[in-house]
Amino acid sequence: MSDYFVIGLDIGSATAKAVLVDNEGKKCAYAVRPTGGRLVQSAEDVKKEVLSKTGVVEESVKAIITTGYGRDIVQNKTKSLTEITCHAKGAYITMPDIRFVIDIGGQDSKAILLESDGQVGRFEMNDKCAAGTGRFLEVMARTLGIHLDEMGDMALRSEKCSKISSTCTVFAESEVISLLAQGEEIPSVVSGLCRAIAERVYGLASRVGITPPIMMTGGVAKNKGVVSWLSKVLKQELIVPEEPQIIGALGASIIGLEWVKKNNETMNKITQNI
Amino acid sequence: MGLDVNDLFHLFTKVQDDLYYFAKKAKQGGEKIAGFLCTYSPQELFHAGGYFPVRVIGGEGGTPLADQWLQPYACSFAKSVLNLGLTGDFSFLDLVVFSHTCDTMQNLAEVWRRRVEGIPVIIVSTPNLNAGEIALTYLKRELVRVKEEVERISGDKITDERLLESMRLYERHRNNMNRLYQLRQANPSLMTGTEMFVVVLSSFLMKKEEHNTLLEDLIKTLENVPPQEIKRPRILVGGSVCQAQGFIQSIEAVGALVCNDDLCMGSRSYVLPPVPQGEPIDMLAQMYLSRIPCPAFHKPGYDPAEIYIEKVKAGNIDGVIFLQTKFCDPYAFNYPYLRKRLEQEGIPSLLLEVEQNQPVPEAFRTRVEAFVETLNNR
Repeated sequence: MSDYFVIGLDIGSATAKAVLVDNEGKKCAYAVRPTGGRLVQSAEDVKKEVLSKTGVVEESVKAIITTGYGRDIVQNKTKSLTEITCHAKGAYITMPDIRFVIDIGGQDSKAILLESDGQVGRFEMNDKCAAGTGRFLEVMARTLGIHLDEMGDMALRSEKCSKISSTCTVFAESEVISLLAQGEEIPSVVSGLCRAIAERVYGLASRVGITPPIMMTGGVAKNKGVVSWLSKVLKQELIVPEEPQIIGALGASIIGLEWVKKNNETMNKITQNI
Repeated sequence: MGLDVNDLFHLFTKVQDDLYYFAKKAKQGGEKIAGFLCTYSPQELFHAGGYFPVRVIGGEGGTPLADQWLQPYACSFAKSVLNLGLTGDFSFLDLVVFSHTCDTMQNLAEVWRRRVEGIPVIIVSTPNLNAGEIALTYLKRELVRVKEEVERISGDKITDERLLESMRLYERHRNNMNRLYQLRQANPSLMTGTEMFVVVLSSFLMKKEEHNTLLEDLIKTLENVPPQEIKRPRILVGGSVCQAQGFIQSIEAVGALVCNDDLCMGSRSYVLPPVPQGEPIDMLAQMYLSRIPCPAFHKPGYDPAEIYIEKVKAGNIDGVIFLQTKFCDPYAFNYPYLRKRLEQEGIPSLLLEVEQNQPVPEAFRTRVEAFVETLNNR
């Protein structure tokens, strides 16, 4: 067994994610749970889950790095970092030649340009509201009376795609209702919603400067309809990692590992000098 | 004197609790107050006419009364100021001065004139082309007209002697502020950006006579403070916000140090070439035309990017943060060029669109924090 471990915690608006890596940066376990209103509790829960999955004891965890909008409220953290830095790192570790990351989470979307060494170059973030994010899809699923997880396949299978001009969650909801009243099929509306998100993200991404290869991360990357529409509007294939939701937590854990190693080196130097 | 830096700051910070603490106190003492919305208003003329000029600044909160009269694309500064006018918050003003800068300011002046009762309005028309003989002749004529209007309203003659005296007072104040900017550029550890902006804010809301005394004490104290090592990334803020303090505080809370600015309520009002000699009105007109121009104006040969690049180099600045008020077209027009030039120079920058009447949003903090993280990793 490894000497020590590091945990990355990504406490998002919709879900809390934890990744546990060993001292060589190998991912040993991950956990994803809904955040709800209890940020601190959900952080504790996902942390316990990765520990119990691996049988690692808390004493051998050398660092806990937090990210996500709940990053500052988590107790006993080594340090906190923004999602932008962590998603960039997570994407770079997963695939070192990645130059661009599109992260769509529960309440925000981000476009990040990576330098060739994996450092963040430029970035943009949605600033108006939850338009074009996971929350938008959640609200629409509820309006349509379908499950969030069905949306992706439904959109992919639909031959038609309804025109939805508004990405404001409230306005789009009434647009959806009037489309249904006009007799539009649900799959066509779902496909239209996915396109609306893709077009919004396109605007964000072009402000940063679209540079392939592009990776998509965050919970919404699990929706195949959004991914498909996004690759159409970006005219690029998107790389979606196996677990797009945990890329931020993975990045946090790797940054934590680098931090531990740097500290160890400094300690060694001091000890040698003594 | 015996005042230490903290005591001095205590005097400057009076405006934080109530922006118009000094203005209201003077009003109670029987003085006349002139509110100006733009730094192209010739404050010297109003001072010479017996007024205490203070800058009209918006506040935090919704703008339901102003929304009745202004379109949704008017900026938050215009809306907030008009709303406070309509609620009677500016009833202590004896005069309000508008300048013709951007379209919103021009229209705001007319809306204000019709809707806010009881305060006479003076509009100063500054030529959009800030150079050449015609512009100078035009502005001189305009300043004479404004002078006569002030005399008519106050019933008091503004003599050349009084105007020159006011101009000397304002020049001394500009020199003091300029000196403070220089000291901080050479030694940013002297104070935080948040503290610097308390001084800047108070400079627009206190009597110049009193502010000069405080500034001169502060400068004397700071001149002898040795520099300390700074580990935080150094930031220059530029943009179109009037009350930048909350944003600057937020930028510094995530571990950066705001070292300099290119803001109207900041260095742009104080970094001026020396005033040439001549007739008072002539000097005044030349001075206003020789300023670093407001983004709403045009000056042939003036390159807005040069100011940024020069300040970045002189102050070892690590990154630039643009605080752009939403719907501020004149500044938005400059931004793509500024960003391109900074990129060419290898200077990282971040654009943040802000509303002046709202508290600093969470997304603002995340972006600034991410920007600071990238600067730390460089």
